[in-house]
Amino acid sequence: MSKVTIPIGPQHPLLKEPVAFTLTADGEQIVDSALRMGYVHRGIERLAQDRSYTQITYLVERVCGICSHVHTTTYCQGVEALLGLDVPPRGLYLRALLCELERIHSHLLWLGVLAKNVGLDTLFMYAWRDREIVLDIMEELSGGRVSHAVNIVGGVRIDLDEAQHQMVVEQLNRLAGRVHKHLNIVLHERTIKARTQNIGYLSAEQMREYCVVGPVARASGIDMDLRRDLPRPPYTELDFDVITHTDGDVWARTVVRVEETLVSLKLCQDILAKLPDGPVAAKAKRRVPTGEVVSRFEAPRGEVVYYIRSNGTDKPERLKIRTPTLTALITLPIQLQGVALADVSVVLSGVDLCIACADR
Amino acid sequence: MTPTETQEQLSARISEALEAAFPDIALEMQPLPKQDISITLPPEKLEAVVAILIETFDFYHLSTITGVDNGETIEILYHFWNRYGVTLRVHLPYDAPHVPALTPTIPGAAFYEREIREMLGVVFEGLPEEGPLLLADDWEAGLPLRKISKQEKEAV
Repeated sequence: MSKVTIPIGPQHPLLKEPVAFTLTADGEQIVDSALRMGYVHRGIERLAQDRSYTQITYLVERVCGICSHVHTTTYCQGVEALLGLDVPPRGLYLRALLCELERIHSHLLWLGVLAKNVGLDTLFMYAWRDREIVLDIMEELSGGRVSHAVNIVGGVRIDLDEAQHQMVVEQLNRLAGRVHKHLNIVLHERTIKARTQNIGYLSAEQMREYCVVGPVARASGIDMDLRRDLPRPPYTELDFDVITHTDGDVWARTVVRVEETLVSLKLCQDILAKLPDGPVAAKAKRRVPTGEVVSRFEAPRGEVVYYIRSNGTDKPERLKIRTPTLTALITLPIQLQGVALADVSVVLSGVDLCIACADR
Repeated sequence: MTPTETQEQLSARISEALEAAFPDIALEMQPLPKQDISITLPPEKLEAVVAILIETFDFYHLSTITGVDNGETIEILYHFWNRYGVTLRVHLPYDAPHVPALTPTIPGAAFYEREIREMLGVVFEGLPEEGPLLLADDWEAGLPLRKISKQEKEAV
């Protein structure tokens, strides 16, 4: 039988964002694949060179539509390091609270997408219904469901009152019960196991070669989490586990993400219990002294890196962004090698692609 | 590496190992604020230094590569990570920036090197020729991250 070339994308029902895969199939089996990205390249790194540090906070929030808060966090902590500015503890705690809420929201969204792609629509409905709880919390705290605009250089712009504190604790307890049910489904449901086990396998050695980060790497046994490895308050004062798995397939990635959601829920409760009093932000100077910094943070998809070089003015000389999806994208041709055409959707959803992040 | 080691201790160990390996070349080391150690080196020594970093210090994780047009040279920064950050810095001449590619040793570097190639016009020796990564197929407006000189700005 002759080989057939199948284009997936840039616009395709399987993909939520534009990216193009050109698959070559021999019968049902994928024998070759090529990737073309850049369809949502907005030139954010170049745009940042013409904007002030304050304006860039809102620009980098738009790198990603799911983990927007992580980008402003990484950016702000970099600029704060350049300024030598100490953020008040309450500001750091609230920043971390939003980060963990966002991780829960991102992982639940992803679980829904995976469930839909393996044909388990019930779990898709559950995951997206329960994601509303965390979106409502974020809306109550920041005013926005996806773009929060919470971070400013020097701290955060929101504070939590007693009623909000109580509401968040109650809602998180409610959500924790739901996520335990999701975990039970992922661990025992036959459909999900049949569709995801032994699919998209990558070994720990391959993860190291391709410098993969986040839940995808942790599912292959790479024990790396910047919340623990690059300790910063409040994570230094909180106790949490880093979830790893050894199977290295899409199922392992699912288990890692759902268990991480539970860890994040516990982290949120701890943050709220230990929330210190005081101001939420320190005043930052407009001009940043000459210097350079590499700022790293653990996003829902793994390590985000910002390189910021300042030149003494109110605009940066260079801002470089590396998003975790880029590290996962590069492994897709290997993961797709030899899989059946029907499993392509499972492999693609397994790495949790965020194309807008990757293209910037 | 032992997790209890401080950044200063690690920095001293790396410095020692690099001095032993390259006695004839002064490698410049300095800390970036609070985070990374930065090492400036000549481009031809890049592969050898990366080999030492990976084999002796287990810095297998290349976080990313940054290209900077600083007006005088093209700077390429390799950000490595293993509980601490190490940034390798090479300066390339403005007119003909050539540097050996890391992709053959670290396959994960491919996207970063391809991006710098199309954004700054750096030639990575050993990086396979492929189409554009981020820019459009019919992009003709030059190298996006190169600084626009004063004369060019006035012309626009």
